[in-house]
Amino acid sequence: MSWFLKGIKRGIRTEKFPKEKPLEVAPWSTKIEGEGNVNCPTNAIEDNKWAQEKCVFCRRCFPSYKPTGDVNIFKVEKRNPTFRKSFYIYPIDVGTCGGCNLELKLLTSPQYDMSRFGIFFTNTPRHADALLVMGIMTEGMREALMRAYEAMPEPKLIILLGACAISGGLLGLPPEIKGDVRIAGCPPNPYTILKALVETKGD
Amino acid sequence: MRRKIGKLGKFCLYNDGYVECEEKIEKSAYTPAYGSFDFVYGPSAGGLMESVRLDIITFGEYIRDVIVNPYYKSRTIKIKGKEINDALLYIERINAPFTASHTIAFLMAIEKALGIEVPYELLLDRIAEIELERIRNNLLVIERLTEAAGFQVPMSSLLWLVEKVNRIIGKYFGHRYFFGVNYYGGINVEEGKIKDLEIIEKEFNELFNSLIESRIFIDRLQGNGIIKNEDSIGPAARAANLEYDARNEEIGLPYKDLGFKISTYDSADAFGRFIVRGKEIFESLNMLSRINLKKIEYTNRLAEGKAVGRVESPSGDLAYYVEVNNKGKISEIYLLSPSSINIRLFSKSMVKNIFTDLPFNWESFGIWISEIGVKFE
Ligand code: SF4
Ligand code: SF4
Repeated sequence: MSWFLKGIKRGIRTEKFPKEKPLEVAPWSTKIEGEGNVNCPTNAIEDNKWAQEKCVFCRRCFPSYKPTGDVNIFKVEKRNPTFRKSFYIYPIDVGTCGGCNLELKLLTSPQYDMSRFGIFFTNTPRHADALLVMGIMTEGMREALMRAYEAMPEPKLIILLGACAISGGLLGLPPEIKGDVRIAGCPPNPYTILKALVETKGD
Repeated sequence: MRRKIGKLGKFCLYNDGYVECEEKIEKSAYTPAYGSFDFVYGPSAGGLMESVRLDIITFGEYIRDVIVNPYYKSRTIKIKGKEINDALLYIERINAPFTASHTIAFLMAIEKALGIEVPYELLLDRIAEIELERIRNNLLVIERLTEAAGFQVPMSSLLWLVEKVNRIIGKYFGHRYFFGVNYYGGINVEEGKIKDLEIIEKEFNELFNSLIESRIFIDRLQGNGIIKNEDSIGPAARAANLEYDARNEEIGLPYKDLGFKISTYDSADAFGRFIVRGKEIFESLNMLSRINLKKIEYTNRLAEGKAVGRVESPSGDLAYYVEVNNKGKISEIYLLSPSSINIRLFSKSMVKNIFTDLPFNWESFGIWISEIGVKFE
């Protein structure tokens, strides 16, 4: 049987998210709620408040704080409806552990299928509408990051993916670049990433 | 037979121990030749999962040499002087796709150094983690191979499976990359038999058989990146019929009780590595079906000591040497990552191949750059 027919036989496997609720979410990638002061290694919990952008989901605050299953842990400060029909992203890894890279890649899996929203990856910053940065800032990648940013045409958006890129997380300092979109998590869940990207492109 | 695995800090690690040894820096045999040029790929380029630079010395088709520079995204990990469980937060983030292998090798070194007897059920939980990690990784490697060939249907089906495995890991261990799962003194796990493994077996079986039958797919792998080398590890060694596997050699984890059988092949090329990885997925599923996950704790203690912990990660031997002081803090640590060895094997195997072989050969080694450039402080 040809691959084409094999594909047809498998049927549609894409989930209805974000129209419908996410399925089977790993708890330690979702919003955390609770009470009390705990020994949080990144100070994500201070004065009873949880700062999603600093959390590395280490469970040190459990059971005073618990994950809620809510995947909405991102902030879109600037969106651009110009990108509603097609939104091209250039991902750059400036010092990751590989976790953010893999979760981002999984947006192309049939479960999430980001292309149904007109979201694609591009191989070059010249074709990109958004630069997606992940990892802590390492010396060797500083120039590559700057060059990628400069090579992009206007209007351009900056997306920071994961605790490392937003706050430095546990391991270092974040890149010196202001994010228009900040997607929390260590690594962020693909549901969180997908929802953030859909909102960013102005849907 | 005694085999040398690689450098572990100031030591040379063997399958039966380690000794201090001098660093031998291998120099590239490359000398410029008339008509050859350096094709630079990376450090940040589409198609690459991570930032890495490849210098491909070529005449346009034929490859004379490939020099891999994995140090663009080198990270300094501040771990010395930290308590064991705090250090683990950092170990987890060396290479997320292999976190179970990293944390378990690290903990095995600690437990050996401090003379702790780990409960049998906990060792079985650890095998479950490493084998789930192996399944995910091997599926991803095979997916990357189909992606390089532009095969949309198997590519999507394999990504569906990778996501499925991630969800299984997330369900039983709370986190899709095993962060916060292993700690000095126990494990965070949902008890019970792992469900849904049959779906993975059925679907992968179909895909694997179809890929083996696909002439245009296997043509791209056969004869590509041949490496039959005593220094090989993991699937690269086993694809060359070398029966190297820490699961057979390391007494720390009770693989033999689960009827573990080594998977080998005899072509020593990218095709062999693909076959070995495929067979290993079935072997891992088989072992997982015999494990009942249990939440177990043990009493830890403060003491001084040093030891090596080693596991068979999805891409081969992974080991930590750790020294702990009497305050329970890490005073020395070295890592031997499978990717650092596989990069050398990849470069060697690429010479005399042609340009279009490169992506297939690169993916067949299952290299993760994040675990190579790590500097401990
Ligand atoms: S999970 Fe860890 S990092 Fe996040 S709030 Fe709790 S203690 Fe802090
Ligand atoms: S945010 Fe977490 S998962 Fe992402 S690169 Fe940093 S340590 Fe890895």
